[in-house]
Amino acid sequence: MGDVTCELCPRYCTIPEGGAGDCRVRVNIDGKLIATTYGRPSSAHIDPVEKKPLNHFQPGTAVFSIATAGCNLHCRNCQNWQLSQRGGEEMERIYRAEPEAVVDAALKENCHSIAYTYSDPIIFYEYVYDTSVLAHENGLKNIFVTAGYINEKPMRRLCKVIDAANIDLKAFDDGFYRRNCSGSLKPVLDAMVIAREEDAWLEVTNLVIPTLNDDMAIVRKMAHWIRDNLGEETPLHISRFTPHYQMRNLPPTPLETLERVWNEAKDAGLKYVYLGNIFGHESESTYCPNDSTRLIHRVGFSVEEYNLTRDGRCPVCRQEVSGVWL
Amino acid sequence: MKSNSKVSTMRRRFLAMLAVISGGLLVRKTLPADTTDKPREMPLHEADYYGPHNLKG
Repeated sequence: MGDVTCELCPRYCTIPEGGAGDCRVRVNIDGKLIATTYGRPSSAHIDPVEKKPLNHFQPGTAVFSIATAGCNLHCRNCQNWQLSQRGGEEMERIYRAEPEAVVDAALKENCHSIAYTYSDPIIFYEYVYDTSVLAHENGLKNIFVTAGYINEKPMRRLCKVIDAANIDLKAFDDGFYRRNCSGSLKPVLDAMVIAREEDAWLEVTNLVIPTLNDDMAIVRKMAHWIRDNLGEETPLHISRFTPHYQMRNLPPTPLETLERVWNEAKDAGLKYVYLGNIFGHESESTYCPNDSTRLIHRVGFSVEEYNLTRDGRCPVCRQEVSGVWL
Repeated sequence: MKSNSKVSTMRRRFLAMLAVISGGLLVRKTLPADTTDKPREMPLHEADYYGPHNLKG
């Protein structure tokens, strides 16, 4: 038998027989690479699509959300570390859920889509892929919520079966990735470009952490990169940090910092910039980039008012708004 | 006197050891028989889809 190399993510883990990759859940059994959490999620919830967050993808709809244990990044500020920084055998519970069961449950609960989320779905790639194919056959959409630390070939293949992705751009700074996530920046940028090239609807999230990635020069570079490489129509979610896991020494991000980041992103030309984890802020809503009409009024994850026309335009000036609308 | 003291020490040690062992046995007996380190497996439909949770994303 012997070692196997996992080519899913840029780690290229070489796994000895009986061992596991860095993600803990992809193992070498008898010389074969096995994803141990296939059909075995540890979380299954129904969330509003706004929670992913996706603000331009079927607003106000319910999403059947699943995740298994494990992750291929190890962020010191991980918000879901109880799930992501464990192997399947360390979880309190595991659901028996082959792709058929997930699709059946999503349909039964009147969800519009299935989200692969919470931990990083990259590490349960085969499960995501098979479930997504079946979901499409049954009229459901697929949402991939990820940090984007994946190789080109599997990302391109996956984009054929997913409809929307939210990619977490943790910082526009390779040093940040190396120090805080045990990863690197370039593969994440590549994954975002691939999602755009392959026509999956893409929204980007950036969690702003005080002193670590709140330098406005870096924020400006990030916003310019998004504008130039993904397009000015790409929604950017600027999210508030709260202390978690191994990063409890830093305070929550001040609102003033978030608003400065928001201004930088708007100044760079991004049309849709949102603030996240700030309940009730006016920047949770969608405004027309042409005449500033409020198109979708949100409070938290709830859609209070929906004013887009059926063909996704501003009802006042007829400006087209990018997205996948109902 | 010296030998009596030695017996007493041995007795104390014996009793202490007995207490530790019986305590351990008592705990094992108190725990439910299915308490293990393994995760609890259940079918998907038993999940509380709408229950509150603190997972992001």
